[in-house]
Amino acid sequence: MFRAAPAHPERPSEPIDHHDLVLQPRDVTFDWGATPLHWLPGEPFATHTFDVLHLMLPELERWFVRTFEQALPLITDDRLREDVRGFIGQEAMHAEAHQEVLEHLLAKGLDPAPYTRQSEWIFRRVLGDRPELTPAAAHAHLLQRLALIAAFEHFTAYMGHWILDNGHLDQAGADPAMLDLFRWHGAEEVEHRSVAFDLLVHLDPRYRRRVVGMLVTAPVLTRLWIRGVRFLMSADPELDERVQVRFRDYLAAARKDLLPRPGAFARSVLRYFHPGYHPTQDGSTQQAVAYLAASPAARAAAR
Amino acid sequence: MDISTPVTRPPDLYGRPRSDSFMQKLAAFSDNAVTRLARRSTPPRRPPATEMPVIRELVVVAKHQEAEDVVSLRLATPDGGTLPPWQPGAHIELHLPSGRKRQYSLCGDPADRHRYRIAVRRIANGKGGSAEVHDALGEGMRVAVTGPRNAFPFAAEASLLLIAGGIGITPILPMAREAARRGLDWRLVHTGRSRGSMPFAAELAELAAAAPGRVSIRPDDESGVPEAADLLCVSPAAGAVYCCGPAPMIDGVRRAFGGSRASALHFERFAPAPIADGRPFELQLGDTGRVLPVPYDRSALDVLHDALPDLPFSCRQGFCGTCRVRVVHGHVDHRDRRLTATERAAGAMLPCVSRAPEGERLVLDV
Ligand code: FES
Ligand SMILES: [Fe+2]
Ligand SMILES: [Fe+2]
Repeated sequence: MFRAAPAHPERPSEPIDHHDLVLQPRDVTFDWGATPLHWLPGEPFATHTFDVLHLMLPELERWFVRTFEQALPLITDDRLREDVRGFIGQEAMHAEAHQEVLEHLLAKGLDPAPYTRQSEWIFRRVLGDRPELTPAAAHAHLLQRLALIAAFEHFTAYMGHWILDNGHLDQAGADPAMLDLFRWHGAEEVEHRSVAFDLLVHLDPRYRRRVVGMLVTAPVLTRLWIRGVRFLMSADPELDERVQVRFRDYLAAARKDLLPRPGAFARSVLRYFHPGYHPTQDGSTQQAVAYLAASPAARAAAR
Repeated sequence: MDISTPVTRPPDLYGRPRSDSFMQKLAAFSDNAVTRLARRSTPPRRPPATEMPVIRELVVVAKHQEAEDVVSLRLATPDGGTLPPWQPGAHIELHLPSGRKRQYSLCGDPADRHRYRIAVRRIANGKGGSAEVHDALGEGMRVAVTGPRNAFPFAAEASLLLIAGGIGITPILPMAREAARRGLDWRLVHTGRSRGSMPFAAELAELAAAAPGRVSIRPDDESGVPEAADLLCVSPAAGAVYCCGPAPMIDGVRRAFGGSRASALHFERFAPAPIADGRPFELQLGDTGRVLPVPYDRSALDVLHDALPDLPFSCRQGFCGTCRVRVVHGHVDHRDRRLTATERAAGAMLPCVSRAPEGERLVLDV
């Protein structure tokens, strides 16, 4: 009843710019019942490289939410205020979804608590509020943290775009529910990729502020990630406790396109330093909204 | 999101009896940065409002009757200048002379950079926004507009089914034109009470003539009220469905979607659902603060937001948890799907959906 596509597609791949998107959180439901610990079969290293996100993101994204809530009264642009409201709802949902996976890991015999306690320390104690500051200093402290968030959002947008584009994970037999979690999250990251940057520039347009944010975020994040992979590999009950984590494991997984390639990743970080950088230059909102309409988790919660 | 629990210095990741030196270093680094900040004294300032005019005055340059109870308006800038670009699915918000704000999908041609077109159905027992557009907004009049913004983005998938119910054709029409222009494999179904009530019949006929077999018009009084499953059965395998229409129709399509062959469902989400069984109650801000009455037809969040404009919130549907407040006194009728029993027992409430029994007063810690 449905004919094949016509033979003369006119500019079929011409992208649609959606810079006027209304951001809305989506309710999601995941079922982890059928997900194995090594959800990328036979690839514990790549599995745990993704899994670090479950350990880091709940605290990290709640910190985003708290920090953005503090910035809300300072915003004088109505549209940006709406974007920030959409952003905090999306990030709050991300935090909850990853938090649920922590329970799943525990049920599979992997106790994430030693690492998540460190995440709490970082995002509440190290980067939390400092009640002792004067209003002027507290404002500067808020701007510093917004610069860290804008830099971090560059990574989430990069990862989001990467995982939406990646077909190798499906071919490698990745667990569909876990892949959907990362793609749903990644698609919303692409959708809201300019909010943190726009908010920072709105409150402090100086180039230096942005650069310092990335100079702090990039090395700390890298270090936390490596520590996370090491921790997960050693806490994994299905692996030998003395398993070694080496850089070449990452290179091997990247060569199979199960993880982002180091060169592309590094180039993306460098783009952030370009004075004319804007997050909309990377990633495709069209691709993100197409995935979000197809995501099983978003549809399962839609009632 | 309980952040009140004190965070203690985290132990080593591998259970070794020492504290983690990287964590210590991060704390020291941050403490040092904060100490340096404390010496600063430039006072915080809010940035100046942006140059981008968010609200525009537009002129109604044409008004047409499109169907029984449906008029279309064409809007342009007073000096004939260009308007901001938009994509299929976008809407603008009209700030009507009475102060009411209403959102309408753009249904004209995105390539026309000088005019927007909207279409409005008169709703007999609505809150008067549509009647005001019909009766009080004439050619030559000015109206303040914000947007365009897009809450129903068109992703131009290779095969598509577009379902429109009645006035829901407004965002769908530009999507169909865009699909045709891109040479996509598309179908459009337009339903409505009767042909006379369905707008843009002539434009749809024109589209149908150029694309035979792609457009079907299904008035209820000729083909019966359609089942959602029947509408979906035209959907291509692995295609995307876009649906816009009255809430029962969207709900029906969402329910029937799982049984169809389509792979993606787009619909416009009108944020807050109407309040079911709302009774008036009161909010008190703090132990000795102001008392705000919450009428039966407004949410506690809406009332709070008027009093405290910087209150955080996002989904307005009781699932994201960002609007959370603490109730120190009073009985809450919890209607969210987020809070745990423990959180509720500790006084948490999501005011975007939750309420109180009639006449009750909730004392909030704000
Ligand atoms: S605004 Fe999301 S729960 Fe209230
Ligand atoms: Fe996120
Ligand atoms: Fe994000």
